[in-house]
Amino acid sequence: MKAYLSAFRLRRRLELQYRGAVLGGIICQMFFGLILIAVYRALYAGKPQTMPLREITSYVWLQQAFFRMLLASDPELLDKIRTGSIAYDLCRPLNLYGFYYARIMAQKLMGSLLRAAPMLVFAFLLPEGWGLMLPASAAGLAWSLAALILGLLCVSALENITMGFTMRTLDSRGMQAMLNMLLMIFAGNILPLTLFPDSWQPVIRLLPYAQLLDAPIRLYTGQVPPEAARGVLQLQTGWILLLIGLGILFWRQNQKRIVIQGG
Amino acid sequence: MDVIKLYLHAMRMQIKSQTQYPLSFLMQTAAQLVMEGGEMLAVILLVDRFERMNRWEAGDLYFFFGLMAVTFYLTECFARGITGNFPYLIRTGQLDTFLARPRGILTQVICSAADPRRITCIAVGVVSLVIGCRMSAVQWTAGKALLMAEAILCGSCLIQGLFMIEAIFCIHSVKSVELVNALTYGGRSACEYPIDAFPRPLRILFTVVAPFALTLQLPGSVILGKPLYDWPAWTVYITPLSGVAVFGLIWLWFQGAMRFYRSTGS
Repeated sequence: MKAYLSAFRLRRRLELQYRGAVLGGIICQMFFGLILIAVYRALYAGKPQTMPLREITSYVWLQQAFFRMLLASDPELLDKIRTGSIAYDLCRPLNLYGFYYARIMAQKLMGSLLRAAPMLVFAFLLPEGWGLMLPASAAGLAWSLAALILGLLCVSALENITMGFTMRTLDSRGMQAMLNMLLMIFAGNILPLTLFPDSWQPVIRLLPYAQLLDAPIRLYTGQVPPEAARGVLQLQTGWILLLIGLGILFWRQNQKRIVIQGG
Repeated sequence: MDVIKLYLHAMRMQIKSQTQYPLSFLMQTAAQLVMEGGEMLAVILLVDRFERMNRWEAGDLYFFFGLMAVTFYLTECFARGITGNFPYLIRTGQLDTFLARPRGILTQVICSAADPRRITCIAVGVVSLVIGCRMSAVQWTAGKALLMAEAILCGSCLIQGLFMIEAIFCIHSVKSVELVNALTYGGRSACEYPIDAFPRPLRILFTVVAPFALTLQLPGSVILGKPLYDWPAWTVYITPLSGVAVFGLIWLWFQGAMRFYRSTGS
């Protein structure tokens, strides 16, 4: 366990290194948030919905703030497989899956915390109808934080499965890009899941992608009341266990047939 | 003439080399389809829920989305040298080899890359354009077809110009390169939707600084028969040239910046 923790810690420090680049990224992300909100505002003006506008703007800001959590974060493994230096990782007295899981989680956690803090402050300062609303209730906030942590565990498990495909072929960019794109769409990054057709809602909310950010955001805005939070967290936990289980099996299969390139 | 021949030859080589691993190429092309398909899905779902945006109906929205997608991804496909690796060439000092050859830098940069995977993104854009024209019952005339070609060409120039800013920053080694994305990718995301959806500061940004509204949207709105501005009819053939003007200005800026270029390679 200690070894996985130190892998986590190392990655976390690495993620904190390039603060200048982070600032540029944050400003860019804010700009994208403003553009999206302007579009939804214009649409709302023509045909108001039962869902208040502030829930949509809050959805957009929370998605933008934690965008880094969804982004694929570990291109190194691909290089390692291509150059053969994966052999070093295999020599470690560690489970390879656990090692990468810890790394990915550290990167996602620090990357998104670093970006979320300034963005959330900015979004709170924006006027009503543009910015981020206060949480619907204290209980809602507490539940959404818990759901966010489970979301982080879930997205790390998903990314490990995506990475599992990297080990299958030498060039899996296509496969990876496709899985990442599906994640972006059904996690609600391109369009809030709350704006998907009402008839789709029962299905898309059960998908693993909805467990990442959509579940915590709905708890935050109060669209899902705190009384229903237990069910949400159970669904998230179920997906996490299933995805980690699948991931471990997949990686074990891969490790059996791995070929070390180069010498 | 010689330059065009050179460019066509380079494109043939690039496309051939990119398709050497057919399976990998197909997978990546399919991934692009999912990507742009996802963007279009967002527009479809928004239209499904809201039906219209201000005075623009469903067909108009598909038309604007398609116009931007076709322009942006044609540029990414055939001018990948500028929209892709240009900053990298400078940062690694690879630009040195270009300086030693008897051709202009711009020619060589454009010839240095192509991205045929974008073909599926272009296809999504074309489908969206066709659906948009059908739904909005566009009456095509020779003038409108010409206008559309002009808009796409000038829009492409504008996009190339904006991407060049990042390369210029790299010469001066300003690190906040991601900021430029606000203009390039931000411009694409914003101007997929009609410009009058946005508040004043954004409208000014995308009309005066990065004139997507003048190069793409004004011609688009005229083709749809709902002009954005009540300017005289002939102006619509002039305004797209602002994209070429922006390209020219940024090119001059780049030439100036090249005096500060110091090779970093060994």
